[in-house]
Amino acid sequence: MSAQSAVVLHGVKKAFPLGGGRGLEVLDVAHLALAPGSCTVLRGRSGSGKTTLLNLIAGITAPSAGAIHVDDTDLFALPQARRDRFRAENVGYVFQTFNLLSALSAIENVVLAMMFAGTVPRRLQRRRAADLLARLGLSERLGHKPAQLSRGEQQRVAIARALANRPPLVLADEPCASLDARTASEVLEMFLAVCRQDQKTLLLVSHDAAAFGEAARVIDMAELNRTEARRKRT
Amino acid sequence: MTIFTLAIKYLRGRFVASTLTAVSIALGVSLVVASVLLARGIREGFIAGATDYNLVVGAKGSPTQLVLGVVFRMDLATPNIPYTVYEDLLRDPRVEAAVPIGVGDAYRGFRYVASNSAYFAAYPWRRKAFTLAAGRFFADNSPNEPSYEAVLGAEAARSTGLQIGDRFYEGEEMAEYPLAVVGILRPTGSADDRAIFFSLPSYWGMNEVARAMVVKPLTAVLVRPKRMSDLPSLHREINVTPDTQAVLPSGVLLTIFNMMAVAEDVLKMILVTVGVIVLLYVFVSMYSATIERRREIATMRALGARRASVLTIILAESAALATVGGLGGIVGGHVIAYLAGALLGSSGLVTNPLRFDVFEPAVLGGVIVLGTLAGLLPAVLAYRTEVAENLAPLS
Repeated sequence: MSAQSAVVLHGVKKAFPLGGGRGLEVLDVAHLALAPGSCTVLRGRSGSGKTTLLNLIAGITAPSAGAIHVDDTDLFALPQARRDRFRAENVGYVFQTFNLLSALSAIENVVLAMMFAGTVPRRLQRRRAADLLARLGLSERLGHKPAQLSRGEQQRVAIARALANRPPLVLADEPCASLDARTASEVLEMFLAVCRQDQKTLLLVSHDAAAFGEAARVIDMAELNRTEARRKRT
Repeated sequence: MTIFTLAIKYLRGRFVASTLTAVSIALGVSLVVASVLLARGIREGFIAGATDYNLVVGAKGSPTQLVLGVVFRMDLATPNIPYTVYEDLLRDPRVEAAVPIGVGDAYRGFRYVASNSAYFAAYPWRRKAFTLAAGRFFADNSPNEPSYEAVLGAEAARSTGLQIGDRFYEGEEMAEYPLAVVGILRPTGSADDRAIFFSLPSYWGMNEVARAMVVKPLTAVLVRPKRMSDLPSLHREINVTPDTQAVLPSGVLLTIFNMMAVAEDVLKMILVTVGVIVLLYVFVSMYSATIERRREIATMRALGARRASVLTIILAESAALATVGGLGGIVGGHVIAYLAGALLGSSGLVTNPLRFDVFEPAVLGGVIVLGTLAGLLPAVLAYRTEVAENLAPLS
């Protein structure tokens, strides 16, 4: 494992059980390393294992084989509770469908991430959430519930929530897929700017790699995922 | 924000469902609290209202009817007995005190009770003493000179608004014999608070049949023997006569309590059924809420929430619902008991439904524990929510 890498996957496989002792292999990654502060775009067809790969790196899904290191920590050597805590502190996750909690306001959704991590003192949580939302242009929307926000605003709240604990690694699963082109462009611009300023390691799933500029490393799942490559050949 | 405030926000986010759940808990608890308060109140009302006399002598018939009618004024009066029964008992060397009672009609629901000054006498063995809040006791006049003076029980005076000097009668046929208020009693916490007292001559004078009778009628005689050892012989001797019976009020009270115990057993079964239904409702409510927000639970887990945190949120929600419902139920139970107590009061039984009882914290604690347990399975469901599966984009 390279000490220079923010994320390293080695011999990682993921198969979902089908019953009767059989399994459906969906991912087989021999090696993947992401440099700290880099921006990497994953692309590939539906079902090529992009979301599964993000879930593995986030420690949400356990691999069937192999090892995943994030910030030099072997994720799946940790007991579940510590892995949850590690994720809260070190990984920001932006979902395609925002996944904001409907009962909470914009600022409360952001505070929620800090509450679970416990790294930001409680008295500072609301101020930090407000600052983050202001950086994403939502200072007038702090008390609004998700249903009172536009889709673009909801995704910006989700981005603020992912960044709330100052995680060194941010994962984003097609963050703009459910936005119209213009809003997607605005949201993406803000997202990338904040990540660049804070020197986050960014791993995104997107079909539009060009939107991330020449600085982004683009990985095609057909090449990274040997299962996908085998499937393509057959 | 804490886990608990998050649970409260979730409850507020489902305001209608949360309110309905809390109300259903409150209704169930209200029924339990009201039932216990009323059962206790009725028992205490019977005990407080029980007479200090050891025998009630009246016409042959139902012993329960005799005691309920004469002591608690809750039933129709039994047939009359001749005044000579009272005179015989007064002469009996075994009798320390004998009090004649004539139970008549009522004025605006407040029973007429005729007696003499012995009824209000402060014997050392009496638990309650009659004292006047205003005026004086009626005169113990001779049979041929009815005074038509009345002394009102505290509740009878308060409800009718009658004051010293006022004259009143019930029904046009009684206009000729109006009663004049000469005294108002202080509250005694018994059926006497709802009675209107006057002399036996007035009682006879108001009744056309009684006026014509040579031997005047009575409803009953309250008897206190000098020695308790004389009680069995007195009881036996009176009961062998063809027209009168002697009843031990304590025995009737026991019969009433035994009948109440049967009713209470049935009530307990109903209350247990209500409790199970309420718990099922809480379970279904929490279960469906958990199913509905599996995606949000998965999101929290993806944000770093531990399984234990998710479990705690659901349990805190059900505990909060149970607490609110339980507290509401205790308040509601007292309100129901108060209203039902007012109805019982109109039938002569005085209860105290507003008094806080030591069983209520136990009820509240039990409701919180059971309500929280009703949320346990949904909480375990949340605990075991598969994160990746529930985070998949919606189609």
